[in-house]
Amino acid sequence: MTSAARQVETAPMTRVAGEALLELRHLTVEYGFGGSRVRAVDGVDLEIRAGEIVGLAGESGCGKTTVANAAMQILRPPAHLTGGSILFQGEDLVGKSVEELRRFRWRNVSMVFQSAMNALNPVMRVGDQFVDTMRAHERIDRRRALRRAAELLELVGIDRSRVRAYPHELSGGMRQRVIIAIALSLNPELLILDEPTTALDVVVQREILQQIEALKRDFGFAVLFITHDLSLLLEFADRIAIMYAGEIVESAPAALLAADPRHPYTQGLLQSFPPLSGPKLPLTGIPGSPPDLRNPPAGCRFHPRCPHCLPERPGLYLRQTAERPRLREIQAGHQVACHLVEEGVA
Amino acid sequence: MSTAAPLEVRNLTKRFPLGGTLHRASVHAVDDVSFELRPGTITALVGESGSGKSTVARLLARLYSPTAGTVLFEGGDLSAVRRRRDVLHYRSHVQIIFQDPFASLNPVKTVRYHLERPLRIHHIVPHDQLEERVHELLQDAGLVPPAEIAAKYPHELSGGQRQRVAIARALAVEPKVVLADEPTSMLDVSIRIGILNLMLKLKEEHEIAFLYVTHDLASARYIADDILVMYAGQIVERGPAEEVLAEPLHPYTRLLLSAAPDSAVGLKATRIEQRRGLAAAAVDPPEGCRFVGRCPLAVAVCSELTPALIEAHPGRAARCHVTAPAPGLSTTPIERKS
Amino acid sequence: MAQLDPIALDLPAAAPRRHARGRLQVPGWLALLLRNPKSRLGLIMIGFIVIVALIAPLISVAHPNDFNILAIRQAPSWHHLFGTTDQGSDIFSQVVLGARRSLLLGAAAGLLATALAALLGITAAYSGGIVDEGINFLTNIFLTIPPIPLLVVVSSYLKDRGMGTMILVLALVLWAFEARILRGQALSLKNRDFVLAAKSAGEPTWRIVLSELMPNMISRIAAAFVLVFYIALLTDAGLEFLGLGDMAKTSWGVTLYWAQTNSTVLQGEWWPFFFPGAALAFTVLGLVLVLAGIDEVSNPRLRAERARRRLMRGLLVAFVGGRAFARTEKAS
Repeated sequence: MTSAARQVETAPMTRVAGEALLELRHLTVEYGFGGSRVRAVDGVDLEIRAGEIVGLAGESGCGKTTVANAAMQILRPPAHLTGGSILFQGEDLVGKSVEELRRFRWRNVSMVFQSAMNALNPVMRVGDQFVDTMRAHERIDRRRALRRAAELLELVGIDRSRVRAYPHELSGGMRQRVIIAIALSLNPELLILDEPTTALDVVVQREILQQIEALKRDFGFAVLFITHDLSLLLEFADRIAIMYAGEIVESAPAALLAADPRHPYTQGLLQSFPPLSGPKLPLTGIPGSPPDLRNPPAGCRFHPRCPHCLPERPGLYLRQTAERPRLREIQAGHQVACHLVEEGVA
Repeated sequence: MSTAAPLEVRNLTKRFPLGGTLHRASVHAVDDVSFELRPGTITALVGESGSGKSTVARLLARLYSPTAGTVLFEGGDLSAVRRRRDVLHYRSHVQIIFQDPFASLNPVKTVRYHLERPLRIHHIVPHDQLEERVHELLQDAGLVPPAEIAAKYPHELSGGQRQRVAIARALAVEPKVVLADEPTSMLDVSIRIGILNLMLKLKEEHEIAFLYVTHDLASARYIADDILVMYAGQIVERGPAEEVLAEPLHPYTRLLLSAAPDSAVGLKATRIEQRRGLAAAAVDPPEGCRFVGRCPLAVAVCSELTPALIEAHPGRAARCHVTAPAPGLSTTPIERKS
Repeated sequence: MAQLDPIALDLPAAAPRRHARGRLQVPGWLALLLRNPKSRLGLIMIGFIVIVALIAPLISVAHPNDFNILAIRQAPSWHHLFGTTDQGSDIFSQVVLGARRSLLLGAAAGLLATALAALLGITAAYSGGIVDEGINFLTNIFLTIPPIPLLVVVSSYLKDRGMGTMILVLALVLWAFEARILRGQALSLKNRDFVLAAKSAGEPTWRIVLSELMPNMISRIAAAFVLVFYIALLTDAGLEFLGLGDMAKTSWGVTLYWAQTNSTVLQGEWWPFFFPGAALAFTVLGLVLVLAGIDEVSNPRLRAERARRRLMRGLLVAFVGGRAFARTEKAS
């Protein structure tokens, strides 16, 4: 695989390990206007460094897909950015022209959407879809583009001859690989994956994720992996951020998050994945359901479902129901937004 | 606890015809499946999409009719059941819960309607006790306050609540068997455990025999007593859940286990080395093991003879010439299939 | 009818809405239709005709078909709002009374045809097998019969050309087309989980057709009703215009027939043609608008299209307005 990697014509990478590639600062996204507007993303801070895999975990409606769309600047009305900045290698994307953004997308950052398998044009051959994408962003003649397409297909584990295939001739897993290959065709520095393997079998899922890991080692891109499956992130991500009701409630290196989760939601979420090995213990999950963002709970948004939010501790209870907790760093690399942690109770 | 199996499945087969002008091909969705469901136990039917597991559930719910094989309910052959009264009797004892909580409830009817209908059709309680019974069922399923929930329409409930309504509806007829077809796969992760715990509770309180169809091994381990692993329409392994997962016999089970993310383990060191293949039902499959194209243990006989489900240890069976060979069959391993 | 997708499943009209306590309890479907501008206008128009039909006996003369030598061929005036015919009959009375017949006939034919189409189409879809084949065969027979020639032939032969007969004949001719469409939609619904769940609970076929399938196809059935309504209206008027209706009754078609027979236009009298024709056109337009509204409400994509067009229009207005303003600014 490495030899194929060297054959692909790319500009040499100049990346300093550890520098911040994408920085979201106090990102706020709303849907709609006026009275019925919904704040889907509320003051999110997120940092992705070059070459690392950051996982963004949360359940339906927590805003994680909106974060990804905002980062790519592809928010569609009625969604619109109402605050914060999106810094890519130090430059704020908000306020860039349409042309600059177009060049930014796919070259610097590319995205694999949810159920992207269906994003392939059914009446175009696979190779032509590569050509389309590549030629939209750089001057390259068709023959070279097709050659690059074949190389990329090989990289993701598909036989080169399939460059001439139509999407319906490929299985779901293969189509997903094609999408990933197209996303990598212009050598982005950041790859955003939004639930890339949800519709796939567990075996194919693991293969694809291992492939992405291998590609990452060879090309050095960073990955933002968005999913509801926290157990996947525990295996593949370097750092994990947990989102709930539009906010990031905890963020830590994967191993630390698994060993020492501090936010009650993270603890509950980890409790929701029954283990395949080790002792079998009864689990409780999390009672209730995610809040309606048109009318989020006052104070800490998780408090109606939190086992530690009890009127018996009036001082703390008051804070939990009235004041929004802020993300604070409690150890190196470990941030939590929780009153309990602040008070030193948890 | 009675040990008689309310539902027994023998050599169940279902083929769906594919359109063809000259040659009528057929998809072998379910092939020679045999098992039994015992009261007070949860049997997990594990497989990937297209493996035939949902078809098995629907066959047992009499939503499809089998191509071959028999389903015995209380000792009687199900296909012999024709009169409406007998069909109703069957339906009052075997219920099904569907995967999609958004699609399994009628959008224009209240929760009360959904629960009252089975109570009325099967005359479970007299007319004046209907409302009370509906409230009891809702409470049993963890939906409170029952009077408020009963008046709601499906779109006013969350996914988890809808699924509980579906469970309550299934329970209304006091069934002996409940077929749960991937009841949690479309729910949010934090809500799944609640539904699984509910199933455990109902299994113990009402001695129901559950068939839990899923693709998620971890949840199968959490609630199931027995596991049946399906691949391409066939059962390839079965046995008590803990044993099958601790020491899987069939190479496909081993593959599933190593591929599934395990929240208890950190990084998985083992890399999967296997060829691509589909777990979905084959069209007119040839003789031989259906897993042979992806199997690291395959030998010559694997592509020639379809392996039978052989009991390798007491209570544990697998469909594999190598790990569960039929007595007398020679499986001298020749060079590994490339 | 090409717009309505028989497979379209999203029927927001079906899910009943809750309203705040204290507000008038408007059924969900009506509220939806009132919100859509097309159907709102259509409903107002139909409502108007209905009111006219209801008060018709109060505002018309006693015997609208009476001859009155003294008042022949009078142009519209305060005394005769719509003028008079060649025989001196008051056209206004004929039109308002004729509205009764039209509405009654259209609604009855619509109801009968739609009921037939829904029951047969949905049962065929759900039952499948031989029931489906039998109903399909029946539908095909009725579909191949050309409606107008059949109606002409039947009307010429029938001694009794009363409204009852006409309703029956119209319904029989028009149900088959809708049955096919409703069958198509029911086919896509019948394998939905909630239908299977009802089956698994033990519901008999007739209850599934009536309680599970039909209520989830309301918008399509309503559209079928409106369609048959206005086709019945036009067909009936057409037959009467050709002289094949009951000439003694008061109806728009008959008035038009007499207008034609007496060659009124050639004599410069436009009113015997215009008013009944306008009434007919007005009613049919109202129905068509309601139909279009149902279309848009059931098909979210059409709603999005409308929103986009509105946006485009708004931009255009802004653009043109802006330029006009700039020009006036420059001028001053």
